[in-house]
Amino acid sequence: MNQNTIISKKLDRNILSALMITISFFTLFSCDSFVDIEEPNSQLTTDAVFESKATATAAMTDIYAQMRDNGIITGKLAGISNLMGNYTDELVAYENGAYSSEPFYNNSVLPSNALILSQWNASYNQIYAANAVLGGLDNSTVLTAGDKNQLKGEALFVRVLNHFYLVNLFGSVPYVTSTDYKVNSTITRIPISEVYSKIIEDLLTSVDLLSQDYVTSERVRPNKSTAQALLARVYLYTQQWDKASNMASAVLNNQSLYVWENDLDAVFLKESTATIWQLSPDYNGKNTHEGAAFIFPSAAPSLVALSNTLLESFAANDLRKSHWIKAVTDGTDIWYHSYKYKEDSDTGSSVEYSIVFRTAEQYLIRAEARAHQGNLIGAKEDLNKIRNTAGLPNSDAVTADQIIDAVIQERRFELFTEYGHRFFDLKRTGKLDSALNYKTGWNSTDSLWPLPQSELLTNPFLTPQNPGY
Amino acid sequence: MNNFSFYKDGKALYCLIFIGILLSFSSVYAKYPARNNINFQLHQVQGTITDGKNPLPGVTITVKNKQNSTAISDYSGQYSISASPNDTLVFYFIGLKKVSIPIRGQKLVNVNLEYDTTTLQEVKINAGYYSVKESERTGSIAKISSKDIEKQPVSNILAALQGRMAGVDVVQETGVPGGGFSINIRGTNSLRTNGNTPLYIIDGVPYSSDPLSYNQTSTTIPGENSPLNSINPNDIESLEILKDADATAIYGSRGANGVVLITTKKGKSGKTSFVVTTSNGSGKVTRMLDLMNTEQYIKMRKQAFANDGITKYPSRAYDVNGKWDQTRYTDWQKELTGGTSEILSNQLSISGGSEQTHFLISGNYRTESTVFPGTFLYKKAGAHLALDHKSENNKFRLNFSAGYTAQKNELPWTDFTLISRNLAPNAPSLYHENGNLNWENNTWQNPLANLEGKNKNATYDLIANTVLTFEIAEGLDFKTSLGFTNLNSDASRTSPSTMYNPSFNYGSEYSSIFLNTIGRQSTIIEPQLDWNTSFGASEINVLLGGTFQNQQTKTVIQEASGFSSNSLIYDLASASYLSVENNETINYKYQAFYGRFNYILYNRYILNLTGRRDGSSRFGPGNQFALFGAIGAAWLFCKEKAVQDYLPFLSFGKLRGSYGTSGNDQIGDYQFLDTYSSSGYHYQNSNGLMPLRLYNPDFGWETNKKLEVALELGFLKDRIMFTTAWYQNRSSSQLVGMPLPGTTGFNSIQSNLDAEVQNSGFEFTLRSVNIQKPNFNWTTEFNLSIAKNKLLSFPGLEISPYKNDYIVGQPITIRKLFHSKGVNPQTGIYEFEDVNGDGQITYADDRQTPCNLSPKYFGGLQNQFTYKGWQLNFLFQFVKQLNFNFASTQGYAGTLRNQPSEIVDSWSQTGDIVPYQIFTSGTNQKAMQASEYFAESDGAVSDASYIRLKNISLSYDLASKWFKIMNCRISLQAQNLITITSYKGADPEFKDAGFLPPLRIIAAGFQFTF
Repeated sequence: MNQNTIISKKLDRNILSALMITISFFTLFSCDSFVDIEEPNSQLTTDAVFESKATATAAMTDIYAQMRDNGIITGKLAGISNLMGNYTDELVAYENGAYSSEPFYNNSVLPSNALILSQWNASYNQIYAANAVLGGLDNSTVLTAGDKNQLKGEALFVRVLNHFYLVNLFGSVPYVTSTDYKVNSTITRIPISEVYSKIIEDLLTSVDLLSQDYVTSERVRPNKSTAQALLARVYLYTQQWDKASNMASAVLNNQSLYVWENDLDAVFLKESTATIWQLSPDYNGKNTHEGAAFIFPSAAPSLVALSNTLLESFAANDLRKSHWIKAVTDGTDIWYHSYKYKEDSDTGSSVEYSIVFRTAEQYLIRAEARAHQGNLIGAKEDLNKIRNTAGLPNSDAVTADQIIDAVIQERRFELFTEYGHRFFDLKRTGKLDSALNYKTGWNSTDSLWPLPQSELLTNPFLTPQNPGY
Repeated sequence: MNNFSFYKDGKALYCLIFIGILLSFSSVYAKYPARNNINFQLHQVQGTITDGKNPLPGVTITVKNKQNSTAISDYSGQYSISASPNDTLVFYFIGLKKVSIPIRGQKLVNVNLEYDTTTLQEVKINAGYYSVKESERTGSIAKISSKDIEKQPVSNILAALQGRMAGVDVVQETGVPGGGFSINIRGTNSLRTNGNTPLYIIDGVPYSSDPLSYNQTSTTIPGENSPLNSINPNDIESLEILKDADATAIYGSRGANGVVLITTKKGKSGKTSFVVTTSNGSGKVTRMLDLMNTEQYIKMRKQAFANDGITKYPSRAYDVNGKWDQTRYTDWQKELTGGTSEILSNQLSISGGSEQTHFLISGNYRTESTVFPGTFLYKKAGAHLALDHKSENNKFRLNFSAGYTAQKNELPWTDFTLISRNLAPNAPSLYHENGNLNWENNTWQNPLANLEGKNKNATYDLIANTVLTFEIAEGLDFKTSLGFTNLNSDASRTSPSTMYNPSFNYGSEYSSIFLNTIGRQSTIIEPQLDWNTSFGASEINVLLGGTFQNQQTKTVIQEASGFSSNSLIYDLASASYLSVENNETINYKYQAFYGRFNYILYNRYILNLTGRRDGSSRFGPGNQFALFGAIGAAWLFCKEKAVQDYLPFLSFGKLRGSYGTSGNDQIGDYQFLDTYSSSGYHYQNSNGLMPLRLYNPDFGWETNKKLEVALELGFLKDRIMFTTAWYQNRSSSQLVGMPLPGTTGFNSIQSNLDAEVQNSGFEFTLRSVNIQKPNFNWTTEFNLSIAKNKLLSFPGLEISPYKNDYIVGQPITIRKLFHSKGVNPQTGIYEFEDVNGDGQITYADDRQTPCNLSPKYFGGLQNQFTYKGWQLNFLFQFVKQLNFNFASTQGYAGTLRNQPSEIVDSWSQTGDIVPYQIFTSGTNQKAMQASEYFAESDGAVSDASYIRLKNISLSYDLASKWFKIMNCRISLQAQNLITITSYKGADPEFKDAGFLPPLRIIAAGFQFTF
């Protein structure tokens, strides 16, 4: 008993001193704010981005840079200019392997295809960024109404352009208008007609919001005419001939901005006045991705060459054949490449930009629409404008159907290796099978790309897969 | 450059200054107390040391409390030392019991030393914040010590763990020098793929395993660089792995995946000793893939075109259309990955000290070349310093250790493994007769052009730690640990114009470079109070402490192109285009308070309580703090009288158990913020801003509940030690980067999932001293781990993005696969089970056969024989597992791409019953699709179990036979010498297929000690 008391007293003293020290120790350091950190120096909060015109603009123009370098309209081999050229009858792939144009050339694209996935992801990422700009602008209290309208118009245009290509490549797709991942991760496919009505609705708003003049000295940010040009194309694809024709006229009548270019070698220069919208390069001195992808200085080609099918279809005296196409030989065999863009590497300062919308397409849209409307004279007038520039005589088409066929044919020569026009034209006119059946791998279900495999797996609501896959 | 940034950093400097001040008042050079009492007359004491039968050479003899008197027994076991008649001699030899004998005026002191088997129980095990006697530990801690590490010719300590530790699964990711390892301690806890790495602590300093790599500059090495490349295995004294709740809860939020504690070597009292080690080895790839020869390949190609109905070979089918020689054959694997890696390693270490102060300084230099063509070298140089001091009254103790490692790794910009497996066997020759690269008229991409592009990586790494301990009162210590790490890494990848076909006429304006510069500093302060007391039969140990850690990572990623000359490619000033892709500073702050209460009653009932309150800046406001804790208990029943009476053969017996929680904050920084950052893209010559991520401000801590019961038994005076442990870890509130569909704009979001994952298993270890004779010793060690993983619950799985990956009740390491029904003899195409019977094969509905790819069991068997100066050690590692075979990576057969020779057995006409389907040149979409399904079917998974002679080492101590003053050890070591497997592919050990397999290394070495 006695001993125990001594022990416990000794213990008490020890515990007491330990406790004293502990308490002082903890009061010294028990400051929870230690783990509070400042915002990282390389990041801006979303709110801050939209409190200044410069940063809000940087958020918008970054999407164009992304579109230029990734995704559907990039001029790199991964973009549709190359992929759909291979998929139809314009190009022949010389690459090998799954992450190349080869499966597109063979029309044997599988749902697991990495390029399909990257196109899909890049498009929706760009759509997200556009929606984020729209949301940021809505919350912004500092920007002027004028700045807000222009940026909103651009964001809507970008959202539409991506959906437009998605719906034409994949068929019915989700139309994404928010940044809420909870909504977007379980989103479903909506019918093609609904996608188009959303596209038109957005584009009409965009046309209203965008200013007529380009906001900077170069034609690298969409203006009102750019949205109208896309709208004309959308009306054409949805067979609303009146509207298509009117919308194309709205663009072409703007003659102070858009002056026809008669020199074929000047059409793809960055100063061309026939350009409606082009993409600014990554840095001054850089030229187009298209030039780097299509041009090969020596044979045999290692990436891609123009197909003989396309070469043989040109009229012998078509100036586009000699100005926009170049032959390369190894001594025995001969190959051709697209030569619309003539620079395949850097120059002192940039000479060519990737042109996404140009007036030639608007003339052809109007020609086709007018022919459908019964305005055959007007239709031929527009068609011949294109033909004459190419050194060809006026078209001998007479009936509306003949003129329409002639326009589709003309589009092939005018717009080859540009953003998959050939594929979309064959598709909307129901001629895919007849034109492409000569290819061993072609099936009529190839009119749609498969939805990316991983996408179907991470969003169980996205089913069904497109037929044939 | 590196030094510059080091000194520039204020914290580094302060830390060093602080250490300097501490050293300046330490008494390293102070007088020795022994000098004051040389009153006694010294005289020579002699004697012979035996182990009972035979003389023992190499025993260290010291005079107690005198620093300058040390002797070592010679080959005949004799020694001679001067001492005064009142002194006490201490005899010490590793593996034998330490003996102290008072001289009491004698001139002849003969000693018998006994083998010490029981010391195993007395060994102090490092548990991080505290150490514990092996016999008294309540937690699950595995240990490997320098004697095992030194036998392996490896440059990364993780390689030395393979097969040696129960519950620790280490997989080498690539055989490329400087590559990484993945480590899983007791299974996969997190659905997050990169959230399963353990916490690394080097001499008390947490060492970040956050990746340094950037995809453009780490093209040759898969996964993340292993941080442990920065530490020289030979500087490591011991490595402990903390596994259960009892051991890891004190690490709170960072302990869920286990803790790896590394303790570096320290100096010892005694005469200054020099150890010089040098080793020279060579390595070759363990196993190649068996590929088609030219005849088989050409036959396949022609059959493919015939199958597709193509009669005119396309212009790009160079291998069969006449452009290439169809009889030529090259073994591309041999050509491109069949080289020999030369491995050189040198090390010098100097150690010694007085009773009060010890030091150890070591330096090492190692080079490894690659098995690829071209001259590439991985160089690693390091220095290690350890210093400890205690005051004369033992009240104040100081421990300082620092390690600095510089690594320079130069590699080709790509791993040649996949290229070598894919090249057509009749592809053209690499060189023209004139020695230039052959491009065969632009018809192929010469693989050697890849040698022009370099992937360089330089890492400079400093880890320093100072521990100050002050004894406030008897049994009460105040301790502060001050740690500092500084890591600088420069990585680059060049693509000079010479990589391209010269006919493209690309000049240096096409050359480009990616650069990634990272600097990471972290400081940690851990004050701690440690109180020991005992009364009656009770012993109490209380520990309270705090942690304050601050880590800053600065990253600059740059891309440059367009150089005036390729020789200037590393000079950014010469680039015509320079872009900064990323330039960010990331701060991570972490604080914790932790405590431990340990109670031992009657030396046999042990209770251990640990707890921790953690705060981390990685979580948003309101979610930053969490509590973790564990209870552990042990019962040393061998000390019960009844047991001693009735089970006399039982020399040791302990039952222990623990239960508790730990967490995981490996989620990256700032994830809770909604922000934009520079995209690295430019438009109209200005920088773009892009949304960084989908943000979720509400994610919080994930917790891991761990339960363990273990039984430890020793028989025959502990000559046989057996441990068996059962554990069950449940990880809930899973914090994941939840994969999202692309329609969300991103691929993932941080969030807590309501899913619960269970890892359970048994671990067995056995150590047996089979033969213990004076001259001959045979020891066997065996470990076996049987692990099970199970997804216990996942509410909402059906509507989550994980729907197609996981099944409740199945392991999270499963892959859902199609069930292959073989090749249809009519169509020649693979068929699969149509699970939902809708007549179609779809991923979502028919890929329903679960297949677990994590090892069923794994372990190792090690034997050690010693005979006089000879020592033979070998370790067999075994793994029982399934894995994807070549069918998963080689794609459909019939294209311009080589295939495994087994594929020749493929369908060519109706009625064929064969294992492989019809060839296609790339137009048979049905066959191509079926090939993809096959790659994700049970047909592409096969046994990947293996038994590997992981390590064998033979050494001989020339010891005192020829040298009086010097010990010399000659050794022959081999790693991965023999692999026994039926795996259909190259080497069965890999994390991601298609990278260079591990190397078989044989090395010879010398070690001189004097």
